[in-house]
Amino acid sequence: MSKYFPTQEIGSLKKPSWLLNVVKNPDVSKKDKVKARNEAALLNIKTLEDIGLDIVYDGEVRRVEMYEEPVRYVKGFEFAGRVRSWDNKYYNKARVTGQIGYKENFHEEEFEFIKENAKRDIKVPVTGAYTLADWSYNEYYKSKGDLVMALAKKVVRPLVQDLVKQGAKIIQIDEPAATTHPSEMEIFRESINESVKGVNSKIVVHACFSGNDYEALAPQMPEIRAQQYTLEFANRDTWNLGVNDKERKGYHVLKLFKEYGFKGEIGIGVTDVHVDKIETPQLIRDRIIYSSKALGDPSKIYVNPDCGLRTRTRSVAFEKLKAMVEGAKMARVAIST
Amino acid sequence: MISSYAVGIYPRSEELIEATRKIAKNLPSLYLKEKKEYIAIQKKAKLGYVCDPLLDWDDMFRPFSKLKSVNLEALNRIYETNTFYRRLSFDGPLNDVGNIIKSNLVVSLLPKNRAVCVPDPYTFADVHFSRKYKKNEFPKAIAKMLRKEINNLVRSGFQLIQLVAPSIAYNPKVDFGLLHEALNIITRGLKAKTILHLYFGDVSDKIESLLELPVSGLGFDTTSTSISSIKKHSFAGKLLAVGLINSYNTKLEDKEESISKLNSVISTTKPDETFVTTNFDLQYLPKDFAVRKILRLGAIARGVKSE
Repeated sequence: MSKYFPTQEIGSLKKPSWLLNVVKNPDVSKKDKVKARNEAALLNIKTLEDIGLDIVYDGEVRRVEMYEEPVRYVKGFEFAGRVRSWDNKYYNKARVTGQIGYKENFHEEEFEFIKENAKRDIKVPVTGAYTLADWSYNEYYKSKGDLVMALAKKVVRPLVQDLVKQGAKIIQIDEPAATTHPSEMEIFRESINESVKGVNSKIVVHACFSGNDYEALAPQMPEIRAQQYTLEFANRDTWNLGVNDKERKGYHVLKLFKEYGFKGEIGIGVTDVHVDKIETPQLIRDRIIYSSKALGDPSKIYVNPDCGLRTRTRSVAFEKLKAMVEGAKMARVAIST
Repeated sequence: MISSYAVGIYPRSEELIEATRKIAKNLPSLYLKEKKEYIAIQKKAKLGYVCDPLLDWDDMFRPFSKLKSVNLEALNRIYETNTFYRRLSFDGPLNDVGNIIKSNLVVSLLPKNRAVCVPDPYTFADVHFSRKYKKNEFPKAIAKMLRKEINNLVRSGFQLIQLVAPSIAYNPKVDFGLLHEALNIITRGLKAKTILHLYFGDVSDKIESLLELPVSGLGFDTTSTSISSIKKHSFAGKLLAVGLINSYNTKLEDKEESISKLNSVISTTKPDETFVTTNFDLQYLPKDFAVRKILRLGAIARGVKSE
């Protein structure tokens, strides 16, 4: 990117209610459902571009959910049923009952549509091998490590290769489970490296926060073949303005990344996706400025929400993104003066 | 035959999941219907102790959010799982305690051989926080609160209390002095079996210290603490609960292999009484698989040689 602090989203947005009404209605034809999905995708792309994001996608509007969507298209999985995420929120969890295998590029249609309609750069989110394994019941492979590697080599790598052939320039491997088992970080590292072996595109890794403040991830980062990490910071930060350690406590770990020798880019989460309160552009500006100093190079900082915004209403999500774009502009001005 | 139980939160059926999402009018009757089904399944499996399946509990701690001085806080991951609980903050005196757990159980549906799980005070204090109590006072304040709850449960006929203790297993360092004090508050003079159940971490190196704690016995998740580690210790004078049924995998345990493991661990450790159980809550499985696991648990217990 030619400018400092390019802005991007992480992936998912809440689906419009009118779309859900159409796709869940058994009386609506397949053709009309396809049309509705295209309209929703176009709406998301244009909205994100109008807000001013530099890198966009379609809010993952065609995907059921980040786990269930890929599992539907991978050999070796059988859905077992729903298990709880929290309270009355559930996800459909699958069993691995046979050898893992790749069937087809299940994001082909989605990416083709976005390629035709987006004017900005495109980042394609792809669910990573480690998370797919961690969120499944392994009844077939001898160990979790064996399952992770099978998914990396036989599913994620061919998928990423197909997307690159199709024209994808930036691939984001989504790994919300990445740091949930600190003792398995080597498996995670190898899963990413195997997933992107021989792939000629920019690789971004998105990992959620899980309690160890990325301390388990930091030593692995220089060894992982990813050019950028998009990570969560805002949800542990204060809402006070300022660029000092006290105010920006959510971002201290950036210094640790530098200490471990990571030289790539960080997409800093500046927006808490778990609350409706909208961050002010000034707060976002300060988070960016602090992060630039902590990492020691403003050209390595990208700006994004902590995670996908699908847990927020669409209006809250878009307001948060507008503030984020405005905050990035303010940060550019601040560092140039 | 040895005794058996499967306490903790059970999975909701698809029908019940949908009803909770829509806050359906018939939700209370659906909860009751499904609780009855699960109790019937436990009886069919001939489990030694039967429990309420806690279908209306959103997490193991949520009923305590009803206390006046307790506030609901942010979602937090349950250790390394993909499931979350709400943190609670304890911000005032705990006066209105004693009937929180019991009032959230359907005691009238349970047979006499009834069991219940209660978070151990160390774990409880570890995963929540207080603006009132200092860090080293908080587990003891929680223990006092839980003792009142447990007294009421014992008066209501609960014979076996599983104290669920994942933090003791998960955290590398445990203040055993503080833990001893807190557990003593709960178990001193209590007329019920208390089993400290350890999961979400390998406790192989802690077993000696754990055996010194004032509880009737220890329970282990055998996917994290191996049978071979348990077998290195004598359980004479103690109860032993072997968590052989894996609630984190749909694969059904082999009956004969499980019986063989149990026979072997009993003959080596010589506990006063042995139980076979799940490694933790069945809620990590969809209902159909949980039911199969309960039935298999009963079959395994019946297949073990009498002590």
